[in-house]
Amino acid sequence: MTDLKQLAQYCLPAASVGAAAGLVAGGLAAFVGQPAGWAVVTGLLGLGVPLALFGSGYAVLVALGKVPAGVFAPAAVYWVIAFPLALLVHAVVMEWVVAGTPGLPAEPWKFLAFRALVSMGFAIGFLWMHEQIGRLWWPRILDRNQYARRTVEQYVHLAAALQARKAATGRGGKKRVA
Amino acid sequence: MDVTSKTSEVPEEPAAAGATAATEKVWKAGRLEPMPIRKLPDAPPSLHILGPTVFLVALGVGMGESYMWPRLVLVFGPDIRWLFMVGVTLQAFVLLEMARYAMATGESIFFGAARIFKPLMWFFYAAAILIYMWPGHLSAGAAAFEEVTGIPWQVTACVALVFVGVLFSLLSVIYTFLEKLLGLLIGLLVVGTSVIAAMVGSWDDLGRTVSGMFAFGYFPDEAMTSVWFPVVVGSIAFAGPSGMQQMWYTLQLRDSGAGMGAHIPKIRGLRAAGEAESMPSRGFMFDTEDPAELAKWKGWRKWVTFDALLLFWGITMLVTISFTVLAMSAARENPNVASLIEGGDRDAALKAMSDAFASAGSPILGTLFFAFIALIGLNATLGLFDSFSRGQADMTYYFVPGAKRFSMSRLYAGFLWGVILFGILILLFGPADGPAGILDTLAFLSTFAMGAYCVVLLLTNNMLLPKKIRPGPVRNVIIGFGAVFYLGMLFYCLFRFGVAVG
Repeated sequence: MTDLKQLAQYCLPAASVGAAAGLVAGGLAAFVGQPAGWAVVTGLLGLGVPLALFGSGYAVLVALGKVPAGVFAPAAVYWVIAFPLALLVHAVVMEWVVAGTPGLPAEPWKFLAFRALVSMGFAIGFLWMHEQIGRLWWPRILDRNQYARRTVEQYVHLAAALQARKAATGRGGKKRVA
Repeated sequence: MDVTSKTSEVPEEPAAAGATAATEKVWKAGRLEPMPIRKLPDAPPSLHILGPTVFLVALGVGMGESYMWPRLVLVFGPDIRWLFMVGVTLQAFVLLEMARYAMATGESIFFGAARIFKPLMWFFYAAAILIYMWPGHLSAGAAAFEEVTGIPWQVTACVALVFVGVLFSLLSVIYTFLEKLLGLLIGLLVVGTSVIAAMVGSWDDLGRTVSGMFAFGYFPDEAMTSVWFPVVVGSIAFAGPSGMQQMWYTLQLRDSGAGMGAHIPKIRGLRAAGEAESMPSRGFMFDTEDPAELAKWKGWRKWVTFDALLLFWGITMLVTISFTVLAMSAARENPNVASLIEGGDRDAALKAMSDAFASAGSPILGTLFFAFIALIGLNATLGLFDSFSRGQADMTYYFVPGAKRFSMSRLYAGFLWGVILFGILILLFGPADGPAGILDTLAFLSTFAMGAYCVVLLLTNNMLLPKKIRPGPVRNVIIGFGAVFYLGMLFYCLFRFGVAVG
């Protein structure tokens, strides 16, 4: 049975990658002396929140076993849709801030198609960082989180296979003569 | 060349074994010690994205992708990018062929070169020192960091040098940490450039960028001048990993336990040098007559091909496409940027691209561009220092008489601190990029090394490996083309224009 609290906890690494993209822009805005409000709207709200939400969506799919952890193809398919939508939200928010009313960018289909192509790069970077951060986070919560436990088990299985490989080749710490 | 066509029964280490009856199968390759036959480990699943190529991506995505090629696009238009496409695709094949030797033997390509002809290896030994002792990459990153923070670049560069030295010396197992750190930094770089390119670029920019990659044969007259041809040649050499970075990749493959590298111990940091396992005096070979072993070999080839295509080729392409899209936005924002660059303003391209970032909505993004350049500088510094020390330690350990009494870890630390101290001295008291007169020679050596390693690859893979795992004719032709490509352009440049590489 799906446990929403556990799911939210599991999704933290994915959300943090999306938020990081917005934080970098927002943080630098503050750093170079831009008004804090501008930094928050353009960076964190306009871009960080949509990317964090979509990132969490991907993590939910992993948690529920719909896509395998750490595998590229499903992530690429997911982001080819989600990434353009996140940028569309950003463009609408920007228009709202500048013009006072929300509005779509010019030639919205071209806008979406271009971002869909660029999404491949984002998918690789997202997956890469998701694994790196997740490896630190999931083992800490696995006692009380079924989704983290399942994911860690997948990685333990992979690690066990690697360990068996080392043992089979005698690499596991045995001294050799030069 | 003393290479047997099949394995044979000979005594193993007869002196140590006291001429006992113990024998084992070996593979004789070249003039050095034969390789004992051992089991090939099982290949890991090929779809997981973390592998040793992370190093090559860290080294490969450098100033060529973020600065040199966007600069060419600003001057000659996006159609010039077909040469980048050729350069990076060639490097992907080089990666696969480097991996073939390293994974089949657990030896570095330097060891392979020595098996063919020892002076070949000494050439690479000397070239590495001449090319990589100058802290040029670090200076570029530190200069970008100065744009962001105002901190003088010499201060940042010196602090970074000491930081890298202390970090690598304190680590227990260097590879494991570096893989994680570079993984995170590259992830940030890839995510960041994708987001920025998506904000700044347009469908038309991307269309022109991608179609330019297939504009084979486009070469404007101005590119054939003495001013630009050396720059074009240098940029092609800097498409993907340049200089000796591909050769060092074989050491990272070995340290990550890929293929027969699983039989070789890992290099440890200086603090943990005493715990290091003894290095075997040569690599190992697996039994290519055993179908089960060959099946495992195919698994390893699949694994490394995934790494080469998706991670290396894919990420390099994506980052450079993002930067090219930015360059084209820059040209729109600042239409006279091409004439500025042609007029000799070397910083104009960087500043114009910073303007392009800024045009995405606010000046913060211009700052972000310099932050990316600083990040690329840090990546390159971490990767290059580790790789240089690893490569020199490897060759010293195996081929300098008496060096084996030091452990590999201590030799690694010696080269690491040597290059750091030299770097600090140059940063504080000398020209940061090395004496101008030497730079031309270094650029020449770097491109020459690339042509030379293509020749070495052809020799090692076709003369030292068992027939069943040698490369096919198509791959040999491609690597042979690489040798002609790099060496041909280099010597044409030298004889036609009297300069090495721009």
